[in-house]
Amino acid sequence: MNEQFDRRNFLKMSGAMLAAGTAGCATGITGSAVAGTSAAVMTGIKAPIPKAKGPRLVVVGAGTSGMTIAAHAKKNYPNFDVVVIDKRDMYSSCFNSNLWYVGIINMEFLADHSFLDAAVNNKYTFLNATVTGLDRASRTLVTSEGEVNYDFLVLAPGISYDYDKIGVKDVETMTALRQMYPGGFISPMEHVTLKRKIQEFEGGVFVQSVPGGNYRCLPGPYERACLMASWIKKNKLKGKVVILDANPEVTIKKQGFHAAFDELYKGIIEYKPGMAITGVDVEKKTIKTEFDSVQFDDASIYANVRGNTLIEQLGLMAPSTKSGQKEADVDVRFYNYIGDPHVYVTGDSRPHPYSKSANTSNTEGQFVAKVLAARAQGKEIAWESPETVCYSMTNAFPPEAIKVDAKYTYDPVKDAITGFSPDTKTWEVRDQAMGRAYLEWAQGIYRDMFG
Amino acid sequence: MDRRDFVKVCAGGTALALANWDSLVLAGGFEAFPAAKLTNKIGIPLKATEIPTGEALVFSYPVAGVPCFLINLGKKTTKPKPGLRGESDEYNWAGGVGPHGQFVAYVGICTHQLSYPTQEVSFLRYAVDGSSVADAPNRIVCCAHSSVFDPVEGGRPVGGPATFPLLPVRLAYDPVSDEISADGIIGMEFIKRFMKTYKRDLIAKYGPGGYLQPVEGKAIAMPLSQYSEVVPAC
Repeated sequence: MNEQFDRRNFLKMSGAMLAAGTAGCATGITGSAVAGTSAAVMTGIKAPIPKAKGPRLVVVGAGTSGMTIAAHAKKNYPNFDVVVIDKRDMYSSCFNSNLWYVGIINMEFLADHSFLDAAVNNKYTFLNATVTGLDRASRTLVTSEGEVNYDFLVLAPGISYDYDKIGVKDVETMTALRQMYPGGFISPMEHVTLKRKIQEFEGGVFVQSVPGGNYRCLPGPYERACLMASWIKKNKLKGKVVILDANPEVTIKKQGFHAAFDELYKGIIEYKPGMAITGVDVEKKTIKTEFDSVQFDDASIYANVRGNTLIEQLGLMAPSTKSGQKEADVDVRFYNYIGDPHVYVTGDSRPHPYSKSANTSNTEGQFVAKVLAARAQGKEIAWESPETVCYSMTNAFPPEAIKVDAKYTYDPVKDAITGFSPDTKTWEVRDQAMGRAYLEWAQGIYRDMFG
Repeated sequence: MDRRDFVKVCAGGTALALANWDSLVLAGGFEAFPAAKLTNKIGIPLKATEIPTGEALVFSYPVAGVPCFLINLGKKTTKPKPGLRGESDEYNWAGGVGPHGQFVAYVGICTHQLSYPTQEVSFLRYAVDGSSVADAPNRIVCCAHSSVFDPVEGGRPVGGPATFPLLPVRLAYDPVSDEISADGIIGMEFIKRFMKTYKRDLIAKYGPGGYLQPVEGKAIAMPLSQYSEVVPAC
């Protein structure tokens, strides 16, 4: 039950990430303006927030990474004056959202968490605004609600989809895919649409694609396929889920997922590895791969991911030699933008080969809060690895889960993250105990972010 | 309101008002509370020699809404552990009580992200025989994020993401009667955070203010497997 994690998986995965990323990045940096300044229009109008009462830490992005850093910043350094900025005015969790589609949890589980309460509980200011520019020379962030000056800036905007990498280059098709067949790994709206699709499914072929590269939530697409198959089985539908996987093998917890495919969903899940999407004909409902084409009745087409477009717009994107996914150019251990100790990029816009997942961002955020607290006092601290505790529900009726618990190793000679730590463990025999622990795992992270 | 007033209020059996807690918390060291003798379900004091070693017993202390674990470590011997680093202060743990210090008690709330035993489920448990998460016997494990604590050494974290020990509960053992009482706790700031985080749930379970009712005189201790309907092993 308790097995050593296969280190070769990590290396394979990392190799795949780099290869997939580099290939699609021929255009290089396009969004950066003059050094230190994005294309922001400075207005001189200040955002309506109280004057800073200490070193100001501005956190952009109220997801797992940003909320964790904000919650822990003042605990580590009470003098910090913290401002969290997000364009959303309501939180809804991306992690755990697969469970909502088949009724394991309700919407309250995902969304009954208030930005306002988090701000009060953790003694910071929440500003509902959209970031439009950055002037690093004067340490000014420009937002739709006015300018905010900072001593330290953390950008944690998450991911964007990169439809280019699945051969979709025209904006019409891209828009159609976004709206009709969403990947379901960014916004709550996608979750709402996917839930409707799954619950309205009456039969036929549902395609769930898995992108190459380092995509958000490695087990997420496989988990969703399992839950949907569980739904099909329970409702005795004449349908199947086709998993079109760009990777040569299930990217994580492969024994646990294959066991579910074989033991629970024979004839319902069809797993097709090595099937990178090269184009989609929305009209004909056809997905093209290098050697094949697949017809679908409905689908969730998960395009490759990249650093959030904000990172590119603010001129913080790494060159393609450092990130094949348009992620930020930051210090491997301490997350500051190279050459600027006042600007940090964390969470899923980082270029690291870390799992882009909630627990990773939560533990990374706790560490970054300590880094910021130390640096605000002119000190440095030692690097700490983030931790990826990650559950996947492979059965819905009853809920049964598998799990991985991984940390990472840093190579000081290469100045790079080189693999999972030797004490990484997986639990790949699904059981109900882990199914229950999965929910408490999520609740714990919500408590850490909002409590 | 000062601390003596608080003790008086508790002795009088009046509900503790959360609003007054700020003025009650003392920095560091054990907070003394009215003693509560640990009893079985029908209120008869437990005899230490009869306390099982296979799982933790759960009792509420120092107020109704705070679950604590009583653990009989069996043949394991405890000794004082100085310099434990809590969430807000450093403190000394005096070790267990009983003939060879085998009885210890901790607040049953994971210091990582506050998982605690409810009537429905407990992700926190004493794994006497070890587990896939614990890697060693006699550890307290939290299945939510795989934190592991060592009850032999003051509840210090020995695995997983937790960085602070479980909060210790002070016990007193009477060798004549062979009975055990709880009479103190460390970490009221943490308890306050727990109360704030779970206020809605605690009101639903105990009624408004009910979770703040002081536990004094007696505290019913029951096996975790009876306290919670489901105790996942991990």
